Amino acid sequence: MKKFLIYIAKIIAITFLIAIALDGLYTYIFLQSQNRGKIETVVNSTAQKYDVVILGSSRANNHFVAPMFEEKGLKTFNYGMSGGHLFEASLMLKLMVERKYVIKNIILEADLNLSNDRESEGVAAKFLPYIHNSEVIKNHFETHDNFNELYYIPYYRYVKYDSKIGFREVYKVVRKETTNTLDNLGYYPLQKHKNGNMKNNIVNLNPLPHNKYYEEIKSICKANNINFIAIMTPMCENVVGMNYFDKVKKAYPEIHNCENVVVEDKYFSSCGHMTDEGAKLFTARILKDFFKK
Amino acid sequence: MFFNSLAFAIFLPIVFFLYWFVFNKNKSTQNALLIVASYYFYSCWDWRFLFLLVFSTFLDYYTGIQIEKEKSENSRKFWFWLSIIINLGFLGIFKYYNFFATSFADLLNSVGIKASPILLKVILPVGISFYTFHGLSYVIDIYYKRIKAEYNFVDYSLFVSYFPLLVAGPIERATHLLPQVKVKREFDFQTAKEGIYQIIWGLVKKVVIADTCATYANAIFDHYTSMNSFSLILGAIYFAFQIYGDFSGYSDIALGVSKLFGLDLLRNFNYPYFSRDIAEFWRRWHISLSSWFRDYLYIPLGGSKGGLWMKIRNTFIIFLVSGFWHGANWTYVIWGLINAVYFLPLLLSNSNRNNMDVFQLKFDFDSFKVLVSILYTFALTCIAWVFFRAKSITDAILYLKRIVINRDFGFQYLDNERYSYELLLLIAVFVVVEWFSRNKTEPISGKRSLLKAALAIAAIMAIGTYSDYKEFIYFQF
Repeated sequence: MKKFLIYIAKIIAITFLIAIALDGLYTYIFLQSQNRGKIETVVNSTAQKYDVVILGSSRANNHFVAPMFEEKGLKTFNYGMSGGHLFEASLMLKLMVERKYVIKNIILEADLNLSNDRESEGVAAKFLPYIHNSEVIKNHFETHDNFNELYYIPYYRYVKYDSKIGFREVYKVVRKETTNTLDNLGYYPLQKHKNGNMKNNIVNLNPLPHNKYYEEIKSICKANNINFIAIMTPMCENVVGMNYFDKVKKAYPEIHNCENVVVEDKYFSSCGHMTDEGAKLFTARILKDFFKK
Repeated sequence: MFFNSLAFAIFLPIVFFLYWFVFNKNKSTQNALLIVASYYFYSCWDWRFLFLLVFSTFLDYYTGIQIEKEKSENSRKFWFWLSIIINLGFLGIFKYYNFFATSFADLLNSVGIKASPILLKVILPVGISFYTFHGLSYVIDIYYKRIKAEYNFVDYSLFVSYFPLLVAGPIERATHLLPQVKVKREFDFQTAKEGIYQIIWGLVKKVVIADTCATYANAIFDHYTSMNSFSLILGAIYFAFQIYGDFSGYSDIALGVSKLFGLDLLRNFNYPYFSRDIAEFWRRWHISLSSWFRDYLYIPLGGSKGGLWMKIRNTFIIFLVSGFWHGANWTYVIWGLINAVYFLPLLLSNSNRNNMDVFQLKFDFDSFKVLVSILYTFALTCIAWVFFRAKSITDAILYLKRIVINRDFGFQYLDNERYSYELLLLIAVFVVVEWFSRNKTEPISGKRSLLKAALAIAAIMAIGTYSDYKEFIYFQF
């Protein structure tokens, strides 16, 4: 038995060493990552200057045409992330501040995402390779259920989220494969879909009265003299429960309700996402209303 | 609690420690601990079904004793059939009732009689097909006086509910496992080390091969109408490796875990994809079930006695029943039927026992023929697997039809955001490793075993699939 216990100790030690080695290797590779996604780009960047930074979910990513801001002479980047929640938007802003970005205006898409203050697993996972390299990321995840496992068990985060930050992603980083998320200054244009779903039911959705991460973004902006513009963006015609936007306005009076800037279904790719044409109409209105010189 | 879960990684060392350091006084304490651990393990799925397991155990224990005690043949028959009917009755209610009720209603509707089936809202108790077959083999063996009834309830309970084999086999025989639980187990370093190797290799098969193949196979099977011929062929191959990695991986872990407790379980897989014909495949795939059907169905039906016609009839019966054993769906029955059809030429040419020997490859024509026959057998099994995997028989036929008519052999980007061909290299490496280990239980043991174990652990950690978590396929059976 003694022999076996020694043998098992060897197997456990080997497993632990492999975990440490893989953790170190993956983290090193992710620290070199450029041009794969918005998170990696911000984490591995140095100080930048922006007139406008756009944050939010896919409804920011697909709705704010960053090149139109540039045409107006405003240095802009759309950091909206498909599938992302305010948890990730807040962390992105914190990372920018940590890297000493100078930002004049933040546009935050704040509407449907006000209904929760949880992380979006798929998006949040992309911050995890850097958890030991950034105090901001570590602190942001501290309230996470699995924080101890994610932070202290070597390689655990890469196993748990292997589809996002596992072997395949590492391989793509090593091969310097690029994605299109950074094209068009971060704005991702959508096309009209023949079978796009033009119905939505948000009747059961309610904005949280004090969304933790929304408040966090607001206070970061205040502390760093950033002009904070929170905007509700358009939905298609056939939505059940449109009074959600009134509820948002009631809970957060400072959020601008631009939901009805574009209304016709022909400008939508799916119910919650405008086409490129719709996004351009919408952006033109935003520029007119908020950036008129 | 799955073998590849964190909960099991905690459960196993605790039971191991208690077994060898606290409850190691005698075989009774060892068995008592393993039963408590097994019942806990089973209750992690659904504690309510624990009563079913205990009832099934008690039924076979009691009827086994009564069959042995009774002198008159009629009384023996009574207890024997009571056990058979109740065992199969439970299986029928939980596993097959809704299927038969729906099929019967469909049949009535198809001839113009309106019928809506009364369906039971029950979930299938995990492992019911496995522990029912344990009990059945025990009672049948007593009835035919092949074994003596077990009078120690604890020992018998352990035979039925021993946790490594409880939910997905291997389907043990009383002649093999009961004598082992009747004696105190002594720790053996070599056996335990082999057990660890088998567990590691089982995990490689499950998380590296099966679960990775599953993401591709699902993406292809679920969208087969938009897939080209090449992707559909790959889909069938990926599923073949998914089910092999999944089930044989489970069996390897079960055998490995059992070795840690000093109990040897029946081998369930013997590199089946290196078979030279379909008969050899069935001697190497799910061996404990194939041999169960051979001993308790094929031979009682007359086996190969009574001429060629009887042999063919009995072969078709066991394959159809075997298909049906897997699940209440016509796709499984057709899968069984296809395998029976594959068997037919071997039966007609009396060559079903041709490939019993171990082959060695050389640079000659015979070896080339062996390789071709292995590939041919694998292709046949892949075609049959399409029926096993497809949601319906129509889907399976359309899937196969599309392979033939589409004729596009380009690479396709799949729904899982990966290219269809990407897994081929991983499968090729896996096949090569298994090929060079085919005369051993698993590839890790032998020279440089620690290095090989380290490589396997690295593979599990680095290229395993975790976030697309998959249960073991055979748990549903």
